[in-house]
Amino acid sequence: MNTLTWVVVAVAVVLGVAWYLSYSAARLDRLHARVEGALSALDAQLVRRAEATLELANSGSLDPASALILACAASESLEAHNERAGEDLLEGQHFAGREVIESDLTQALHLALPEAELDRIRGDGAVGEAALRRLEAAALRVQLARRFHNDAVTDVQRVRAKRVVRLFRLAGHADLPQTVEFGDDLPGPARE
Amino acid sequence: MRVGLVCPYSFDVPGGVQFHVRDLAEHLLAQGHHASVLAPADDDAPLPSYLVSAGRAIPVRYNGSVARLAFGPMMASKVGRWLEAGDFDVVHLHEPVTPSISILALWASNGPIVATFHTSNLRSRAMQAAYPVVRPSLEKISGRIAVSEDARRTVTTHLGGDAVVIPNGVDVARFAGAPLSTAWQGRPGAPTIAFLGRIDEPRKGLPVLASAMPRVLQELPGARLLVAGPGDRAAARARMAPEVAAASEFLGAVTDVEKASLLASVDLYVAPHTGGESFGIVLVEAMAAGAPVVASDLAAFVRVLDGGRAGATFRNEDHDDLASQLLRLAADPAARARLTAAGSRRAQVFDWSVVAEQVMAVYDTVTHGADELRAESASDTRWTRLLRGRSRGEA
Repeated sequence: MNTLTWVVVAVAVVLGVAWYLSYSAARLDRLHARVEGALSALDAQLVRRAEATLELANSGSLDPASALILACAASESLEAHNERAGEDLLEGQHFAGREVIESDLTQALHLALPEAELDRIRGDGAVGEAALRRLEAAALRVQLARRFHNDAVTDVQRVRAKRVVRLFRLAGHADLPQTVEFGDDLPGPARE
Repeated sequence: MRVGLVCPYSFDVPGGVQFHVRDLAEHLLAQGHHASVLAPADDDAPLPSYLVSAGRAIPVRYNGSVARLAFGPMMASKVGRWLEAGDFDVVHLHEPVTPSISILALWASNGPIVATFHTSNLRSRAMQAAYPVVRPSLEKISGRIAVSEDARRTVTTHLGGDAVVIPNGVDVARFAGAPLSTAWQGRPGAPTIAFLGRIDEPRKGLPVLASAMPRVLQELPGARLLVAGPGDRAAARARMAPEVAAASEFLGAVTDVEKASLLASVDLYVAPHTGGESFGIVLVEAMAAGAPVVASDLAAFVRVLDGGRAGATFRNEDHDDLASQLLRLAADPAARARLTAAGSRRAQVFDWSVVAEQVMAVYDTVTHGADELRAESASDTRWTRLLRGRSRGEA
């Protein structure tokens, strides 16, 4: 009887531990999936932002100097994306040093599109206006995607710091994801 | 896009979160999206067609005030059925850290989740006690929205991580075009002053305004205080000085149309709230309607008023300062006109067309990520699929 009780307790403990480990692994898996999803959204929105910038630069609504600055920054961003198109972007879940390029594009947008210029393009009803609207929509989504990505990364890093996760190597060989930091303010006046 | 919205508070009781959810749902529907709202509601109350009632809500004391919430095992299965029937692209929860259907939906949902945090006064004690239980499911939220900087700070301190700030929306055109009502308009030397909010909830600040009124009435005996909001009128009247009670008109709970008309007609709108406000939608409504705003200097209010440029502020709970501000503005029509003009400009930032566009951008971002993953999970190993299936069962 006594031995039987002990056996039952032992089995229950083993089952409990096994459940907890599998639960923690699933939780971590879900978090990694969230990081992947957010990073791929960020990548897609960056491409859209660069494309809309090119479109705006070629719309004829800008002076040639500004157009050239924008076209240059945008094509660098697209090149950086295309260089890695063959490989898995999410391998290692990092951003491959594209931060500087994207910051440069943000800065170029700020330089080429001061408030007065934005108002002028918005009012002229030409090709530029549609391109600007697409650009603003993409820039907003870049901001959101980066924020959401970094949120997910913070969560992953916290869970992976837990002792259970480290002890039982629940993260497998997945690299520890890192936050992505670059300037992504919207062109125009500071928003609420 | 198919959007499922979850509102934790009873839909037949007016409140900021409820209005936000209602307006957002109606805006999404008007733009051709599919929207369904799950909220507690009395079954015999008339409900809009997009609302699915989760059943009757129970008044519970939570986080410093009484809220009508719904929870329990019956609710959990109702929430699960709604999620299954809805087949949503994105589920948008409001106030996910309340003991209500929002957190139940968070548990039951597997798709992309967006959550909006409205409150700025999460009690850390309650949060810390519930942390181990709540945290893993909070990790399922792909996109966090805070309605104000204060709400965002609450999220960062209590939950870690960050949130994007998307303010509450107001249908500016509806307020700007509200008809004037002569009954609520003041005369020179006899201004009308409006208060909106529950009259027996001290945090809404009616007592502060009532204490400021004697000085106002001394100088402007014809001034009238219009009090709109639900609550016990007789008790509220009894708490006022006799001359203030005599100069006050209690309108009870007003309809949306009456509210817009009231705000458009009065000479001054006062928001004497003493705390617990994270945004102050009614300030935006007042600005949209063209009422000069006098508000307590809560951080949230100062921010909505664009640092005090779009409305006057007084020191919180200081009835003397409030009286001075009221008297100053009552005597200066030009200053009131300036506030009205600045307020109308400021209100545009909070128009639903602007706000809903930002919410849509959040939906786009989180659903994009989820679509990628769905495409990828076909190539998952059996083991990860097994784990994912498991997490579905447990989480």
